[in-house]
Amino acid sequence: MAQAPEEKPEKNSRGTIEWFAENGIFVFTAVLILAAAIFVNGFASLQNITDVFHRAAPIGIVAVGMTFVVISGNYLDLSVVAQVATAAVIMIAVSNEYGYFAAVLAAMLAAIIYAVVNGVAVGYFKANAVIVTLSTTYIGLGLLRLLSGGSIFFGPPDGALAQFGAGKLGPIPYSALVLVLMTVILAFVLNRTNFGFTVRSFGVNERATRLGGTNTGLVIIGAFLVTSLSAMIAGFVLAAFSNTAVSAMSTGYDFQALAAIIVGGTSVFGGKGSVLRTLLGVIFVSVLSNVLVLLNIGFGYQQMALGALIALAVAVDALARRAGKK
Amino acid sequence: MAAVVEAKNITKAFGGVKAVDDVSVSVEAGEIHAVVGENGAGKSTLMRILSGIEFPDSGQVLVDGKEIDNSAKASIDAGISLVHQELSLVPEMTVAENIYLGGFPTTAGFTNRKEMKKFAQETLDEIGVSVDIDERISRLSVALRQFVEIARAIARKPKVLILDEPTASLTPAETDYLLAMLGRLAKQGLAIIYISHRIPEVFTLCHNVTILRDGKLVYVSEIKKTTPQEVINQMVGRELKLDLESRRDAKPGDVVLSAVGIKAPGVNNVDLEVRAGEIVGLGGLVGAGRTEFIRAIIGADNKTAGNVYITVDGKKNQITSYMSAMRNGVAYVPEERRVDGLAMTMSVSDNVYLPNRKDLAGNGIINPGKAAKVAKELADRVGLRPPEIKREAGQYSGGNQQKIVIAKWLHQRPSFIVLDEPTRGVDVGAKAEIHRLVKELADLGTAVLVVSSDLPELLELSDVIHVVRDGKIMGTLDGAEADEKKVMGLAAGESLVK
Repeated sequence: MAQAPEEKPEKNSRGTIEWFAENGIFVFTAVLILAAAIFVNGFASLQNITDVFHRAAPIGIVAVGMTFVVISGNYLDLSVVAQVATAAVIMIAVSNEYGYFAAVLAAMLAAIIYAVVNGVAVGYFKANAVIVTLSTTYIGLGLLRLLSGGSIFFGPPDGALAQFGAGKLGPIPYSALVLVLMTVILAFVLNRTNFGFTVRSFGVNERATRLGGTNTGLVIIGAFLVTSLSAMIAGFVLAAFSNTAVSAMSTGYDFQALAAIIVGGTSVFGGKGSVLRTLLGVIFVSVLSNVLVLLNIGFGYQQMALGALIALAVAVDALARRAGKK
Repeated sequence: MAAVVEAKNITKAFGGVKAVDDVSVSVEAGEIHAVVGENGAGKSTLMRILSGIEFPDSGQVLVDGKEIDNSAKASIDAGISLVHQELSLVPEMTVAENIYLGGFPTTAGFTNRKEMKKFAQETLDEIGVSVDIDERISRLSVALRQFVEIARAIARKPKVLILDEPTASLTPAETDYLLAMLGRLAKQGLAIIYISHRIPEVFTLCHNVTILRDGKLVYVSEIKKTTPQEVINQMVGRELKLDLESRRDAKPGDVVLSAVGIKAPGVNNVDLEVRAGEIVGLGGLVGAGRTEFIRAIIGADNKTAGNVYITVDGKKNQITSYMSAMRNGVAYVPEERRVDGLAMTMSVSDNVYLPNRKDLAGNGIINPGKAAKVAKELADRVGLRPPEIKREAGQYSGGNQQKIVIAKWLHQRPSFIVLDEPTRGVDVGAKAEIHRLVKELADLGTAVLVVSSDLPELLELSDVIHVVRDGKIMGTLDGAEADEKKVMGLAAGESLVK
């Protein structure tokens, strides 16, 4: 029997760029928080920090959910904008009339419809996720405007939702707890379940995943369902936060969530990434904009900073991918 | 006579590991120089350095005695042309357009389609390949694509042509044609560097041979003054018998797979039976419809007619989809392992987990300890080296990658396994081990179907050989009585290339 020579491990050849792409976010988040605490007046107060988390929670919840679609190699789900607003409006409008239970059921139905439409189009008909979810965004927002008459809905000021929105466990707002809880649950689903495994595997090699005995269409629908249910919960949290809901309340959530995912180091090419990274990305982006606000830097500059950050993260991802191919 | 191309004391390390270690090679005009070695020996790295794609840590590349810069453009300008191992043609463009990409001079940035076609036709005529220049690459057979690839390299009018495993996916007839073509080109004064695993080709074609092992040059000789056995021994660094007669005693049991009247694109009404413990070989030329046939029977692609049944434990079930095939214990080792077989950036462990996940985690919750244990057992069983299950599959060589693809299917003994070109592009040592695994599976009672364009492999493994041509089985040979001539007689029918 012939013995093939041992192949040399290539661990050392992994370049700086790849290390950067994989671990940069941990370092940067730590450095940013440390620097902000030392140099920025008003950052290191309990009030400010809970405020940062409170504001970050809805987008963060969308982002951890949407990580599934990104890791599956399908770029993003733009329709989260429509989904968050739909869930928020349903939560307040329906609960005012029929109670919370009916509101949750109706919101879940809406989330499932979004997931199935997006998932079937992308998973079975192989349509491009960006185009599909762009179209469902407009259809969904249009429908919501028609049904809601474009009006603002208010919940009762002493209702359970309003109390949840203002509620805290010690110093920590409930919304932040929901974000952490969602991260833990979704990290478990992604890393430790067969469904999560096939989402990751599909992102790396769709054909090998299919030939490994996977109904890949169902996997994609599943990834969209995780995103939709997360968007629904984000909608609830957002509605609770302000105790109001209107169809335009979640404008910009699509790209802000994507920004957090990319900055966290999840690859837009699919296959590589994690829910925890997305949480770090959310924290990084939120802390950064908080710092810019505290430093009295205008909103225009904040937007430019976020744009530059995304470009940097995507560049690092692309370079790491190219380095990895050699 | 002076060397056309010369590599002097080339050293190249990747992260501390020397892939090429102080290697010198020189080739004269009209000479065909073989560079052989197992996978990972450094052949491809050396060739990439010669063609300026990779930069050496030290050493020089000289053309006609002049040192050339380390860049792909400098190499091409100096007359070094590389035919890639992995085809690099643009599938959606025509033959003419692809050849044009290789070296047609642009005039003011505009393409002249008439000139382009004329140029492509002349280039193809020069190497004696007849193919429609307006046909898209994606519609050509693997063999014709290979020839177009060579035409593209020749179009640059190189002084030195480097070919990396050009016959890996060619049938014997196509290989013979290619070898004759290269012989002709050499006679016209082209220097050729020929990388191959296939020892008989090297002895048919080449004048000199250089052997690399673990990045070092271990042996240089004129072909006339050496023997195939010596070359193989030098390659592996130890005695290795040319083991073509290691056939096993087959004890076929009941019919496991039966396919009746299968029709699919490229497949014309084929019947097939495979018994438990039996290895059935499908021989034939590339493009004969074998891959299409096996993909149709296991449901990986759609069939237009016919029925497939798998009998497990006396129960006969119809196969209607790939999922139903898998449920009945069908395993598939595909032809293109990079595309269909492996998730390259996932670990060995994850790759092995994929098809076994329902068995290893009935409730859908992964048990990492159990998954790792199974991966480790399978890695050991297929002889993965080194057996590091946390490493990415893409970091292993072709032979080891193929072992991982096979390992995926060994956790639950398959009732029926199909292997499509199981050792293409795989080194000698890994090839022997893969053959051992295939025989072991059959001995354990699995029904085995092997598609192979490698005749010695087909003859060594198969108990029964069906030869396929034009989507039909043209003849069936008993494995013990078959020989290369009989198989080729049935397979060839008419020649693919004039």
